[in-house]
Amino acid sequence: MTSQAIDLKTNRFKTNRVKTGINWLMGIGLFMLPLIWIDPITYLTLTVAGLSLGMLIFLIASGLTLIFGLMDVLNLAHAAFFTFGAYTGYSVLNLIASFGWIETASLGGSAFFLMVALGTAGCVGAILGIITERLVIQRVYGDHLMQLLVTVGVSFVMVEILKIIWGVNDEVVPVPLAFQDSFIIYGVFVEYFRVVAILLGVCVFAGLQFVLKKTKIGIIVRAGVENREIVETTGYNINRIFTLVFAAGAALAAVGGTMMAVFNQAVNPGMGDQFLIFALIVVIIGGMGSVTGSFIGAIIVGLSFNYIAYLVPKMALGVNFMIMAIILLIRPKGLFGKE
Amino acid sequence: MISNQGRTRTNPFILNPMVCLYAGIIVLLALIPFIFPSFRVMDLMAKIMIFTLVVASFDLLLGYTGILSFAHGMFFGIGAYSVALILYHIPKPSWYHILLAVIISLGVSIGMSLLVSFFSLRVKAIFFAMLTLALAEFAHILGVQWTSLTGGEDGVSFVLPGIFNFNHSFGTLFHTQVNGRLVVYFLILISTAFLFAALLRFTQSPLGRVLKAIRENEQRTIALGYQTFKYQIYSIVFSSALASMGGILYAMWLCYVNPDSVFHTAIMVNILLMVLIGGMGTLYGSVIGAAFFIITENWLPGLLKSMAAMVPENVIIQTMADRWQLYFGIAFVLVVLFFPKGVLGTIRSRIRQKKILLNTLFKY
Repeated sequence: MTSQAIDLKTNRFKTNRVKTGINWLMGIGLFMLPLIWIDPITYLTLTVAGLSLGMLIFLIASGLTLIFGLMDVLNLAHAAFFTFGAYTGYSVLNLIASFGWIETASLGGSAFFLMVALGTAGCVGAILGIITERLVIQRVYGDHLMQLLVTVGVSFVMVEILKIIWGVNDEVVPVPLAFQDSFIIYGVFVEYFRVVAILLGVCVFAGLQFVLKKTKIGIIVRAGVENREIVETTGYNINRIFTLVFAAGAALAAVGGTMMAVFNQAVNPGMGDQFLIFALIVVIIGGMGSVTGSFIGAIIVGLSFNYIAYLVPKMALGVNFMIMAIILLIRPKGLFGKE
Repeated sequence: MISNQGRTRTNPFILNPMVCLYAGIIVLLALIPFIFPSFRVMDLMAKIMIFTLVVASFDLLLGYTGILSFAHGMFFGIGAYSVALILYHIPKPSWYHILLAVIISLGVSIGMSLLVSFFSLRVKAIFFAMLTLALAEFAHILGVQWTSLTGGEDGVSFVLPGIFNFNHSFGTLFHTQVNGRLVVYFLILISTAFLFAALLRFTQSPLGRVLKAIRENEQRTIALGYQTFKYQIYSIVFSSALASMGGILYAMWLCYVNPDSVFHTAIMVNILLMVLIGGMGTLYGSVIGAAFFIITENWLPGLLKSMAAMVPENVIIQTMADRWQLYFGIAFVLVVLFFPKGVLGTIRSRIRQKKILLNTLFKY
């Protein structure tokens, strides 16, 4: 019943290698296009900045696409998880700063403190995800409309709780000192933090692919998505597994939030909504349920945003919308989408 | 007697109870500024009427056709901003400029809704919802950043021309100042009544029945031979046009628009809550939802503050009383989870259950 051919010897899908190769070349060529208007040094700086922005968006988008693709749940409360993570990271960094440890210029020390902040944010995100899933999402499985409405409401409530705990104003985030430096390669300014963001994004991507494809829990999750009842008959508690997936998605969003807080050096209660739009665009471009899709989509969105922000500042968000519209016209499932 | 399903005598239209109720409410609303001459009551009533219109048009989209679109707030904002910008930029406006604003905003919103529906109706419902969410957020950002056109965060403040001008006074009638504000109030009343009646006619026509069929089971409607795409476009265009009308009336009442007051996602969430409270799929429910919401929005902060004034030392209670929107959010989630049919929907389903019960009991 598949529309693609299957190679009878290896029982795998036949991929048209020439077509895939041409697609990749065209994509990369499209991204070399701004070289016409921008000089190479600025182009490289913008590329690094775009890649790091893309990685941060990937962190949020991967959670969203996991939760939808694997659980068929629309979660618009992701923005709230993101903002909560950002504020938690801010509090942890504030705490560290009050001990005076922020001033260490060593890269290792700063990286360690960043890891502490990220870890705390991840835990908080996971806890929030578990609470949300237990209380709210479990009652609306299967009804997409109600899921949308309920998650919008939950997001609203969480942002209000955040405003009660931390106040409504913008806050400045103390960044570990070593990350405020940059190094220069061939005249290109590369901030340390951007490189960390890119490395983190790639590691998270690799980790997700590994867990999903090579571990037992990954296979159980994927099987549970295909056919929930059969996995229940084999003895696994599918409810607990889906809670785990939701918590993982929320933790990813929280980690993304902390990274964005350090990236922007500021947090404000409305930051979640802005980045939810980016994450939605990425998920639509990449395809629902596909982690690879959200990785590639995030890179596309990050790079195009930065290039256009340099050339025509007001159209930066508009260009992302246009890409999304084009993808919806020619391939509504998304680049790597399965449904 | 209950088994007598058919009518043996047709009642004249004017004695139909719903029409009487409707006309009675309109007369009551018309008399309100004379009974309660305070500005606050008039403001409340005007806002309730405007939001009834917007929420009813959203109910057409969500309750009757089954399409969730987050762009309704955007169309509301388009209507508001078109009136504001035209009356702001033209040096000596007169009443036909308002008409021009109406035509322009109708054109823009119909154009945008056609564009959005052509792009997005071919994908699944969730993509449509996410697309419209992204579009609405984009409109907000555009409103804030395009300062040359829209005046950015500060917003646009303007005066209404001719007899609508708030300073223009006609004298007094029943001890109430008859000025431009009263004229605008009556304009809002007449337009809302007319457009709401148009909405009722739209839903109770064969077109409306096809929309209900699409909501119930789209495949079956396609199998019956109806082009669902065409009907969905009719529904989206009509409801967006009505939302822009609501926006125009809102701008005329407030004489001030800014991106946060008309494009913010909070407005969309409020509209959603009003539809849910009133009852999805019932147009009259939007009246209940809008009235409940706006009255609560006006009285809840005051109530909470007076309750918090009783314990002035406790900082936690003070901050919790400040953020009254938190309780709205909690109410929203509770309503979605436990009362998905809303007030009117629950009433209607109870009545239907009683009718079925009586029918089966008295069939023999």
